[in-house]
Formats: sequence, C-alpha cells, structure tokens
Amino acid sequence: MKTSSNKLTKRDLFRANWRWLWASQLSWNYEKMMAPGYFYSVLPFLKRWYKDDELVEMMQMQSQFFNVNAFDGNFIIGMDLAIEEKQGSKAKDTIAGLKTGLMGPLAGVGDTIFGAIIPTICGSIGAYMGLRGNPFGAFLWIIVNLIILFTRFSFLNLGYSQGAKLIDSASGKLNAITDSAILLGVTVVGALVPTVVNVKVPFVYRAGKVTLKMQSILNQIMPSLVPVLLVALVYWLLGKKHVTSTKMIWFVLILGIVLSYFHILSA
Amino acid sequence: MTIQWWQILLLTGLAFWAIIDQLTVAVLNNPLAIGMISGIIMGDITTGLAVGATLQLMVLGVSTYGGASMPDFMTGAIVGTVYAVISGKGVQFAIGLAVPVGLLMVQLDVLARFANTIFQHRIDTFIKENKPNAAARNALWGTFTWGFSRALPVFILLVVGNDVVKAILRVIPAWLTDGLKVSGHILPIVGIAILLRYLPTKRFISYLAIGFIAAAYLKMPMLGVALLGAALAYIHYTREVEKLEMKQTNTEKQNEDEEYTNDEGEYEN
Repeated sequence: MKTSSNKLTKRDLFRANWRWLWASQLSWNYEKMMAPGYFYSVLPFLKRWYKDDELVEMMQMQSQFFNVNAFDGNFIIGMDLAIEEKQGSKAKDTIAGLKTGLMGPLAGVGDTIFGAIIPTICGSIGAYMGLRGNPFGAFLWIIVNLIILFTRFSFLNLGYSQGAKLIDSASGKLNAITDSAILLGVTVVGALVPTVVNVKVPFVYRAGKVTLKMQSILNQIMPSLVPVLLVALVYWLLGKKHVTSTKMIWFVLILGIVLSYFHILSA
Repeated sequence: MTIQWWQILLLTGLAFWAIIDQLTVAVLNNPLAIGMISGIIMGDITTGLAVGATLQLMVLGVSTYGGASMPDFMTGAIVGTVYAVISGKGVQFAIGLAVPVGLLMVQLDVLARFANTIFQHRIDTFIKENKPNAAARNALWGTFTWGFSRALPVFILLVVGNDVVKAILRVIPAWLTDGLKVSGHILPIVGIAILLRYLPTKRFISYLAIGFIAAAYLKMPMLGVALLGAALAYIHYTREVEKLEMKQTNTEKQNEDEEYTNDEGEYEN
C-alpha cells in the first residue's frame, strides 16, 4: 500500500521524462506501436510500487497498444504517475482508459504543431535561404528544435501537477493556439509556391519582326502561374483514390523530364 | 573528385544518427540540416544546403504520422550531396538521383518497424516471467534496427558511389540530365500539395492567398511573410480567446439562472 514516502520527487519526474525522450519510439513496431516506450518510461516506478503478481499485472497493463505524438505524449505519463502514486494498482482500469482516451487528442495537437506547423515554417524559411547558399535558416531551425527539446520536458510535469484540471479548462484555448499556428503555416506555404518553384516556359513565338515570349505573357496574367497550376494539379490528384505521396513524387519526377524533353518547361 | 574513406565513415555515422535523432531528441531531424552537415563533411556546404533545401521542400511539414512510412530524405540528402559533389553536375541532377534513394528508404523503414515486433514479443514474454530489466532492454534494441536500416544502404551507396556516378554520367543522355534538372525544380510542389491536403486549407484559404500575394507580387522575403503570418495569427488568437471568454461568462450566467450543469468536457479536434 502507498505511504507518503512514495511521493515522487522532481528528480523522479525528470527520470520519467528522460526515459520517454530516448525510448518513446526506439522499439516502435506494427503490433503495439509505442507500447515499449511507455512501458520503459514508467517501469522504475512500477518496480518501486508493486511486487510479484501485482507487478506483472501492472507491467502488462502498461505495455498495451499505445500511440501518441512523442513531443506531448509525456503529458499522459505525468497524469498516470499522479494517479498511480495515490491509488496504486486499484487505478489499473482508470489508467488504461486514460491512456487510450488521451492519446488521440494529444496526438492530434502534437502532430499538428510539432509535426506539421513548426517544420513548415522553419523548413520554408530554411529552404528559402538554403537554396541561396545561406546556412542561417538551417541554424535557426536547430535553435528552435533545442528550445522545443527543453519545452517538451515541462509537459510531463504539467500532466503530473494539473492533469485533469487542465484538460477541462484549457481545451478551448488549446484549439485557439492550434488554429492560429495553422493560420501562420498556411500563410507561409502561400509564399512558398512563387519563391521556391523556379521554372520557365522557354517557348518563343516568332513571326517576321514580332517575337512573343511565352513566359512574359504568362507573367502578365499572374506571376508564378505555372507553379500554381502544377500545385493545383498535384493537390487534385492527391485527393483521388489509390494516389499516394510516393506515387506523386515519381509522377512529378517523370513529368519534369517529359515537359523538359518537349521544351515546355526549362530550369 | 573522389570520396575519402573517412568521409564515408562520417556520412554512414550521420545516416545512423539522423534517424535516431528524429525518433528521440529531434534536433537534426530534417533534410536541410542533414544536407548542410553532409556538405560540411564533403567540403562544400553550399551544395549540401541546396540539396537539403530542395529535398526539404518535398517533405515539408509531413513527418511520420501514426506509423505511416514517408520517403526518408534525410538519407536522400546525404547521398544526394555526395553525388552532387563528386559528379560536379550540379544540384538538380544529384536530386534526380537522391529522390529514388529516399523512396527506397520507405521499404527499409517498413522493414525496421516490422523487425521491431520481435522485440515487442520478447517484452511481452519477459513481463509474463516477471523479468522487468530484460523487458526494458528490449525497449531499446530498436536503436539498431532503425539505425542500420539507414546506415547500411548509405555505406553501400557511398562505397560504390564513385564508380556508379561515373558509369551513370557516361551513359546518361543530355535530354535526361536537362529533364532531371527541371524535375529538381518542380519536385517541391509535391511537398506543398501534400501539406495543403493535410492542413485544413479550405478554412484558411484567404491566408494562403495573402502569403502568395506578399511573395509573388510584393516580392517579400520569406522571413517577412512569416512575420506577417505571425501578426495575423496573433489577431486570430486574441479574437478566439475573446469569443471563448464571452461564451464562458454566458454559461456562468446560465448556471446561476437555471442551475445548468455542463458535463461535457470533451475534446474537439
């Protein structure tokens, strides 16, 4: 049974964080996905709190299917530890439910912010500069990543200290943050099309003294018209059934060669 | 130029670390950084940056979700940078060679994730036998399946690299090198299109237009567009929070009036 001496210290929380940071995805597998990582992160505490059959039972519960975003998934570990610390193995079903209930929402927020929006913004700026031979953008991204690395550690402590309270009160604000981040990402993507896709239409029409450059006509309609149309085409094709991103890469690779062969596009 | 053995070793190590980095600390977890480091190792940082940047645009903001395997252009950036430097044929040409490498990695990624089920089974068995430490070790052994799934192909491609690139250059016709250059220029649209599919673009379509207009018509640099976007995002955020607070005060009033209880604490996503 639990006594007050079992109270987790800051060092304990750091330990769980540290284990999650390294192990969360290392043994990721098709069967139970991140289960080994979760199990590894909480194991020291299971060993401290339980013995024999109770330990086996809890280890089995903590190694069930689990999949979340690695950046914010440790929030769940924090809540889990807070509950188990008070209730012990009685909370087994609560924890199992909590894990499955929270992994979806946290994966949604984490994948959007850390998986899509931050790489979009940093990647756009970095690639834009990198194409011009400037390493500043690449370094900036590394600095951002280091800041995120430190921030990640606070999610577990947040889950431990506020857990349930936070989930009730902050969900609305969290949506507002996610939405604003998406808005920023979409704005940057809009700027990407004209800046990083550089192709020209080399066709020149000659009749007597008149020469018409196809590209300058297109520019008058809209700058970067060809890149915009190509993005629209790929976007549309991606909505079709059986079209995967890998197929699209092959398609564009071959499309580039074909369009270049017929002198429709040039670099 | 030809590649030195110490460069091959460093780049193989980089390939091993890149995937482990992505799975753990996530500091050098992108083709741009890996391309830059490969460029430093090869003594040509500009080429490394350009290869990394182009490949970066193809996987823009699309990391692996829920276990789907994506083309691994970190590995592609290593091989692409090396081929660009040793062939002297320019960045776009090298990208034409790097893209298939990145796509091949999808298969090896699947293999690594599949091989890890072996460790999962061992974990399950050790737990049943109450051997927690043995189970814990198996949670870490995936390091090697992941790492070698990238390091081995890079090692092989670099060892045979000189000969392969020279052989390719001998047989490849001019129209194909030109074509690969065009492909290298338009391949970023795949990343952009995937991203637009992933994000709720339709809801934010006017911001897509604002970003486009700023860059295409006003010739604003990318950092400027990002700042503009940040300003717009802040406006959006403050408005949403205001709306939220209004809703809250409304429900509080309702609570007082009708003793209305709200038991719906669900997530919306």
